[in-house]
Amino acid sequence: MESAETIPVQRPSRWDEPLDASMTDADVAWLRTRGPFNQMDQSAFPKATPLTGILRHDCRLRRVEPGEVIVREGDYGNSAFLVITGNVRVLVDSLTETQLGRQPTRSIGWGEALTRFLRRSPHPETRTPEQVSLNAAGGGHQSIRRVDDHPAIFLQDIDGVLRRHESVSLGPGELFGEVAAMYRSPRTATVIAETEAALVEIRWQGLRILRRDRRFADTLEQHYRRHWLPVHLREIPLLRYLPEENMQRVIQATELRSYGRMEWNADYRKTRQLHPAEQIASEPLVVDQGQLPTELIVVRSGFGRMCVRHGAAHRTVAYLGKGHLFGIDEIAFNAMRPESMSALLYQHSLHAVGFLDALAIPIEVFATEVLPHIRKSELPESAQALQRSFTEKRKDRRRHRSDQRSEPAASFSHDPSQDVRHPTGVSFESTSLLEFVVQHRLNNGRDAMVIDLHRCTRCDDCVKACGDVHDGNPRFVRQGAVHDRLQFVQACMHCSDPVCMIGCPTGAIARDQNTGVVSIHDSICVGCGVCAAACPYENIAMAEVVDRKGRPFVDQASGRAIRKATKCDQCSGLPSGPACVAACPHDALVRIDLSESPPLSHWLEKRG
Amino acid sequence: MNPSQGPSLKLRRTIALSATLVVIAVFWGIAEWEAARLGRPAFFTGFTLLSGLVILMLLGVRRRLPFWPLGSVSTWTQIHLYVGLFTTAIYVVHVPVLIAGGMLESFLSIVFLMVTASGFYGIYASRTLPKRLTAVEGQHRFDRIDWVRHQIAAAAEKACQQISEASAKQVLQTFYQQALSPFFVSRPSVAYVIAPNGNRRRQLLGDLKELDRYLEDEGRRVAGQLAALVRRRDDLDYQFALQLRLRCWVVFHSLLSLVLLAAALVHMLVVLQYIG
Repeated sequence: MESAETIPVQRPSRWDEPLDASMTDADVAWLRTRGPFNQMDQSAFPKATPLTGILRHDCRLRRVEPGEVIVREGDYGNSAFLVITGNVRVLVDSLTETQLGRQPTRSIGWGEALTRFLRRSPHPETRTPEQVSLNAAGGGHQSIRRVDDHPAIFLQDIDGVLRRHESVSLGPGELFGEVAAMYRSPRTATVIAETEAALVEIRWQGLRILRRDRRFADTLEQHYRRHWLPVHLREIPLLRYLPEENMQRVIQATELRSYGRMEWNADYRKTRQLHPAEQIASEPLVVDQGQLPTELIVVRSGFGRMCVRHGAAHRTVAYLGKGHLFGIDEIAFNAMRPESMSALLYQHSLHAVGFLDALAIPIEVFATEVLPHIRKSELPESAQALQRSFTEKRKDRRRHRSDQRSEPAASFSHDPSQDVRHPTGVSFESTSLLEFVVQHRLNNGRDAMVIDLHRCTRCDDCVKACGDVHDGNPRFVRQGAVHDRLQFVQACMHCSDPVCMIGCPTGAIARDQNTGVVSIHDSICVGCGVCAAACPYENIAMAEVVDRKGRPFVDQASGRAIRKATKCDQCSGLPSGPACVAACPHDALVRIDLSESPPLSHWLEKRG
Repeated sequence: MNPSQGPSLKLRRTIALSATLVVIAVFWGIAEWEAARLGRPAFFTGFTLLSGLVILMLLGVRRRLPFWPLGSVSTWTQIHLYVGLFTTAIYVVHVPVLIAGGMLESFLSIVFLMVTASGFYGIYASRTLPKRLTAVEGQHRFDRIDWVRHQIAAAAEKACQQISEASAKQVLQTFYQQALSPFFVSRPSVAYVIAPNGNRRRQLLGDLKELDRYLEDEGRRVAGQLAALVRRRDDLDYQFALQLRLRCWVVFHSLLSLVLLAAALVHMLVVLQYIG
C-alpha cells in the first residue's frame, strides 16, 4: 500500500495575531502590579491561556491626551478599556454630531440638488479641502491628531463641553466599554480623556477569559445585572406588561449565553461556499431538537438558524434575529397543558449563525412570572388552541349540566412541521430562498438592495441615477448573488450587525440613530481601510480623492495619496430618497429589510 | 413607503386599464358629439394627441432628474404606457385613414405608427426578455461583456496549450485553430445578434464530442473544458444580443419620439396657418 503523503504545517494557535505586537514583557510585568490584575488568581486560568498571555496578546496599552475621544456613543466596538492612570469622563448626555467631528445629515433642497447635478465634476471622487480633512477647516485647531501610533479625534472646548454636559469621572482600576465589547451592542456613551491617561484596551476574547477570575467575573456580572440586563429584558415586547416585582425575579433568574465567534465576518467567505448541510453542522448548537424544554431563549444579538431534522440532514425553517424567541410554543403549551397530556419537546434545533448572544429565562420563572402577564392574542398558536379547547369544554359542561356527562374534548394536535411565526423567527415559503439568505448571511441586511430579474431589463438606470446624485460616482454596481429570480446586489445593506463599524479609529463610519443608515463622515475618515476590510459583503470601496480640477489630495507629511472609504449612503439628505429605487422604470429594484421575512415575501407575492 | 404595501400588480393593471378605457370612451364621445354638432372634432382630437405626446415625452425628462422627488420612474412608466394606449386610440379617432395623404401628414402618420409599434414591442420586450436573460447561466453587466469574452478566449487558449499528450495536442489544437479560435476570438455575427439561436453551440459541441474517439483521458478532460467554455461563451453572446436589443429599442423609441413631436408641432403650425 502506498504511504499517505503528508504536508507539515505549523498548527494555528490562539495568539497568532496579538492585539498589539509591540507589547513587551516589561509592559506585562508593569500591568501585573496594577489593579485589578495584581489581585487576580493566576491558577484560575488554563495553562493554554495564562493571565500573562492574555495581557501580552489580548491587551494593548494606550496613552490618551486630554480631550481625546476614546469611544463614541453609537459606535460598535470589540474592546473594553481599563483606566490605569489618569482620569476619563463618561458623558451622560449625548454630544452633537459636529462635536464628534461628524457632519450631520443636512436636508438638501430642490435648488441645491439641481445645482449639484449640473455642477458635477468630470473627475471621479472629487472632494473639497474641508471634506478631505477636518483640520483643513479647523483654523489652527487640530481636531484629528496622531497620538503615538493611532489617529485620534479631539473635542474642541473640552472645559465648555464638560460644563454643559453631565458627566461621570472614572479613575484608575475602573473599566468601561465592556458591554458593547462582549454583547455586540452600540456604545451607550461617549468617553473622553479628562487628563493625560494610560488605558489598557482589552479585546473581547481576552475579556471572556479574564472572567475566570472569580472576583473580576463577579464585578462584571453584578455590573451587567444591575445596569444592563433590565434594559435588555425590557426591550422584549412580550415582557412589556410585566409588573416590576416580577421583572426583578426574571432579572435574577435570567442567564446570558454566548455562542459562536463574534468575528464571523472573517470566516464568511469560506462558510458561504460550504454546502448547507456542512454549514449547519459547523454552526454551534444552542438547543437540540427533541430535548425537554428548560428555558426560553431570547435572541439579544447575532443570528440563529432554526432547523428541523429532515431525512438524514437538517432543513432550515426560519432564522432568528434580535428580539426573536425560541421555544415559546413548547414552553407555553407545557405550562398550560393538563396533566393528562404529555409535555412537548423542543420541535426544532437552534444553531448560532456566526455568533449569537441569548438570554435564557428558566421555564419555572417564565411560567410563574411572565406567562400570566402575556396577552392572550400574543400567545403562540398552540397555547391559544389549548386555551380555546378549555373554554369550549367549560361552555359544554355548563350547557350539558343536566346530563352530568361531557363529551371528551378534542385532543390538541401540534404539527411540528408548521413554520413558526414572528416573533419566534422568520421564514419564507421557499425553503431554498431561506437557506440562501442564511447561507449568504443576507439576513443581516436592514436595507438590502434586491432586484427582480424577471422585471429588470438590465438598463442600469439605477446605477446611472446613483452616479448622478453622487457627483458622478455610483456607489454600487449591478452585481451580486443570484437566487432564482432575485439578485441581491452588492450595495451596502446597512446591517443589523454592522461589523464595518468595529475598529474605525476616528468613528468616521457611523449609524444615524434616526434612520439606521450607516454612512461615512469624510472629513474624519483617515483612509485606513479597516471598514472596507471588515465588510464581509465587499460593499465598501477605498478611493483616492481629487479636487474639482482632478488634482489628487496628498498627505502633507508623507506625500501619499489621501484615500476615503465610499459606500451607499441611501442618498441621505436628498429630497428624492434613494435614487436607485426611484430610477427603476420597471419596478424591479427594491430596498428591503431582510432581517424579517414579511417585507420580501409580501413583495414577491405582489408580483405573482 | 414599505415596498410590501399597496395593491398587487394585477389589481393595479386592471384598475389602470379600466380607467384608460373609460377616458378613451369619454374622449371618443366628445369627438362624436363635436362632429354631430358640425364642429371641428379634429381640433379637439389633434390637441388632445399633442398633449398626449408631450406627457409621453415627460418620462424622458423624469429619468434625467433623479435628484428630485417627482415620483418613481416606474410610476411614470406606467403613466407612459396608459397615456400611450390612450393616444393611440385618439389617433384612430383623429385620422380618416391610418396613413394620411400628403407629404407631411403621411410622414407624420408613419412616424406615429412606428413609435406606437415600437412602444408596444417595448412592452412585450420588457416583459419577456428579462425572463429569457435570467434563464441563462450567469448575469453579466453589459459594460463587462467584452472583458468576459476576452477572459473566456484566454481560458480556452490556455487549456489548449497545456495539453501534454501528443495525440490530444494534435487533434485538439487543430480543432481549436480551425473552429474554436474564430468562435472565441471574434464577436458574435450581426445575424446572431438579431436572432440569437443555438446553432453554433450545437455544431461546436457536436464536433467536440466527435473528437472523443481520437482522444485519451487527458484529451477528453480538455475537450470537456473547451465544451464548457463554448457553453459559457454562447450564453454570454445570448446575454449580449438580448441586452443590446433592449438598449437599441430604448434609443430607437426615444429618437423616433423626438422626431414625432417635432413633426407634430410642424403639423399643428401648418394646420393653424391654413385654417385662418
